Amino acid sequence: MDLSQYLEMFIDETKEHLQNLNDQVLVLEAEPDNIDTINEIFRAAHSLKGMAGTMGFKRMQRLTHDMENVFSKIREGKMSVTPDLVDVVFKCLDAIEEYLDCIINTSDEGDNDNEDIIRMLNACLDADSSSPAPAAPAVSSASADDKASSDEASAPADSAEDAKKKFLHIEIADFEKNAITEAKAKNLNVYGATVYIDENCILKAARAFLVFKGIEGIGEIIKSVPGVQDIEDERFDFDFSMLIISEKSLEEVKKVISDVSEIKEVVIENYEAPSDSEVVSSVREADNKHEDKKDDGKKASPAKANAKPVANRSVRVDIEKLDVLMNLVSELIIAKNGLVSASSSSQDDNKASMQSFNEQIEYLERVTTNLHESVMKVRMVPIESVVSRFPRMIRDLSKKLGKEMELIMTGEETELDRTVIDEIGDPLMHMLRNSADHGLESTIDRLKLGKPQVGTIQLNAYQDGNNVTIEVIDDGAGIDVEKVKASAVKKGHITEEQAEMLSEKEAIDLLFRPAFSTAEKISDVSGRGVGLDVVKNKIEGLGGDVEVSTKLGEGTKFTVRLPLTLAIIQALMVEVRDEKYAIPLNSIVTIEDIMVSDIKYVQQKEVINLRGTVIPIVRLDEVLDCPPREEEPENLVVVIVKKGDKQTGLVIDNLLGQQEIVIKPLGKYINIPKIISGATILGDGGVALIIDSNSLV
Amino acid sequence: MEENEILEEPKQYIVVKLDQEQYGIDISFIDNIVRMERITRVPKVQSFFPGVINLRGEIIPVMSLRNRFGLADKEYTNATRMIILKPENGAKIGILVDEVREVVTLEEENIEKATRDEQGVNLLGVGKYKDTLISLLNIQEIIQELDNA
Repeated sequence: MDLSQYLEMFIDETKEHLQNLNDQVLVLEAEPDNIDTINEIFRAAHSLKGMAGTMGFKRMQRLTHDMENVFSKIREGKMSVTPDLVDVVFKCLDAIEEYLDCIINTSDEGDNDNEDIIRMLNACLDADSSSPAPAAPAVSSASADDKASSDEASAPADSAEDAKKKFLHIEIADFEKNAITEAKAKNLNVYGATVYIDENCILKAARAFLVFKGIEGIGEIIKSVPGVQDIEDERFDFDFSMLIISEKSLEEVKKVISDVSEIKEVVIENYEAPSDSEVVSSVREADNKHEDKKDDGKKASPAKANAKPVANRSVRVDIEKLDVLMNLVSELIIAKNGLVSASSSSQDDNKASMQSFNEQIEYLERVTTNLHESVMKVRMVPIESVVSRFPRMIRDLSKKLGKEMELIMTGEETELDRTVIDEIGDPLMHMLRNSADHGLESTIDRLKLGKPQVGTIQLNAYQDGNNVTIEVIDDGAGIDVEKVKASAVKKGHITEEQAEMLSEKEAIDLLFRPAFSTAEKISDVSGRGVGLDVVKNKIEGLGGDVEVSTKLGEGTKFTVRLPLTLAIIQALMVEVRDEKYAIPLNSIVTIEDIMVSDIKYVQQKEVINLRGTVIPIVRLDEVLDCPPREEEPENLVVVIVKKGDKQTGLVIDNLLGQQEIVIKPLGKYINIPKIISGATILGDGGVALIIDSNSLV
Repeated sequence: MEENEILEEPKQYIVVKLDQEQYGIDISFIDNIVRMERITRVPKVQSFFPGVINLRGEIIPVMSLRNRFGLADKEYTNATRMIILKPENGAKIGILVDEVREVVTLEEENIEKATRDEQGVNLLGVGKYKDTLISLLNIQEIIQELDNA
């Protein structure tokens, strides 16, 4: 089987399981006795093991297997959750993540055996198990082993008969084993049976079906070889084996089976679970089969066509959103049909047909707008997929830095375009680390200052018009502006005179300069001076901005504003000479009509005084290398744009109006200047460039 | 190495004209040939890029082959064509030529290897077809140069 096509799915699902495990283990740390959580962890570990096994990632499988063992012990109540154990489990999760990263990059799990983690896991097992269980891989099956060996003596030693007992070779998985153990606990009988059908029988499947039906009347079949489906499809020779749980005696069950006609022989006896090593291998195989089936089912899913080796570009889409799309497409077809019929009837009556034509066009317009919106929505992903890994990160930071802190998150359901989501994780992580490391004071200092012992970091996300705002707030020391200035002077970013001139806000902006850090000592959490400028660049690259507000002694707030989507925006269409340009509406403050005589000069730069605010103006025609105007008009149209608190006026020739535009990339090869952020296609098929007003402010 | 590969079997080339000079473009690079369309100027880009066009919803940069080869600008005429190239593993790019003439098939023995002509244009070789000479453009290299520029 070629597994490469499943690799992407494997990566996706492993990520999900890992995230889930991280979340659950965090819960477990807080509530060590939460049985639901323990079960959930066990299940997730089990799934991971199965998936890794299917894909042939042996090291990963081994690690998850041992982890599963630990939780199976905990689940049975034979072991309790200790802080040490949680640490080991987290290490284990990190190791799995490492494997996964390796797989993403190279399609191979690498060769780190993580022996030390496995040893630690087993040490936990040894140290904590109340019963003297061996530290062998399959702990849960160890007990089964004992039972099997003790029963061995009672098994009949008739070799000819044994050959017929094909049910002895049935491989059982652990859920089946559990079923057997449970049945025994309830004093039910477990039988293994091999049924031989007469060689002359024509309808084997029908006979087998009757056997199954008969047994179902008196008990339960937990496994059959071949499988039920194969038997129904007549894919077996003249015998089949099964494991039966029933309260009836051996004789009764045997009679039920042999009562079916054309049954040649029934071999049946009490069944015991096979020994340890067999179980492990069969567990693995059963898992594999299970996974294969699952994968096959999903293979048909669309949008996976010509998937690149390992890069993950898929979006999970809510089925409702797809339904809406489907509806809209069908409406589109109806609208098209309407147009067709309107055009074919145009010969009859000109006036009436014109009207129906227009109606149809209006209808079409409505549908396309909705369609557009819906397709955009499909690209939206809740921010949760990014932020869900942060609680774990903060927990680790808390331990590492020796500060007590908690992370409060709100608005995880806020949706952002997939392209933005992919990029926003790292900047947010930087900011949180920054808050944890520099923002919050040490626990001792906090107590001295009379603040709550546990520092709080908040991560809030919410939608705000066409933007999504994400705030990172800490209740730490705040930014000491004087310290920032001093540090900037020391590092040679600014001179002392400049430092004195700086407003508080400008001083804080210094933090976003490359290679700037005020941390007195460099820790490995942050403080290497590669944080905030990277954050700022990344966010601006996404068309957003970052702002900082701080109060000394009370805390700091980072506000990140991001566009809801990168692909479609509201824009103001303007004309400069005979060229059309689009200015994103969300950056526009107002549009003003300015007398040329009102333009003043400050440091040889043109400014206007707009209701008491001095705003620099930029002549777009000059910036865009347009041919000069023959004569300067008396009035200028100025579009006032903002970036954060700063404003700039853009001088244009004409306003064309507001329009929803689809942003298209300008293609490769061409060296696009910073003031152009992309292009869009106009209704008449022409191209208009989009002005990145942020670069002009 | 690459040239050997390309010259191995007969290939088809589209013959285009810039002034009196004939150039050949390997047909496997060509996505489309379209008539002149409205070109939207993009400010502050390389001088041989008159701008971008909208080709069925996709925005494609258009390069003037004349400017690229150091020839003077020429009025667009009815014969002016945009050839949309789709290099292997690359994005589409349009090139402007004065005229598209014909498709020719050249055997290896009719191609004389060359790497550059007098103007420094990156060539695969010079093909002889009937009585004329055709400079075969090394499209892959010419586009690669843009990336590095």
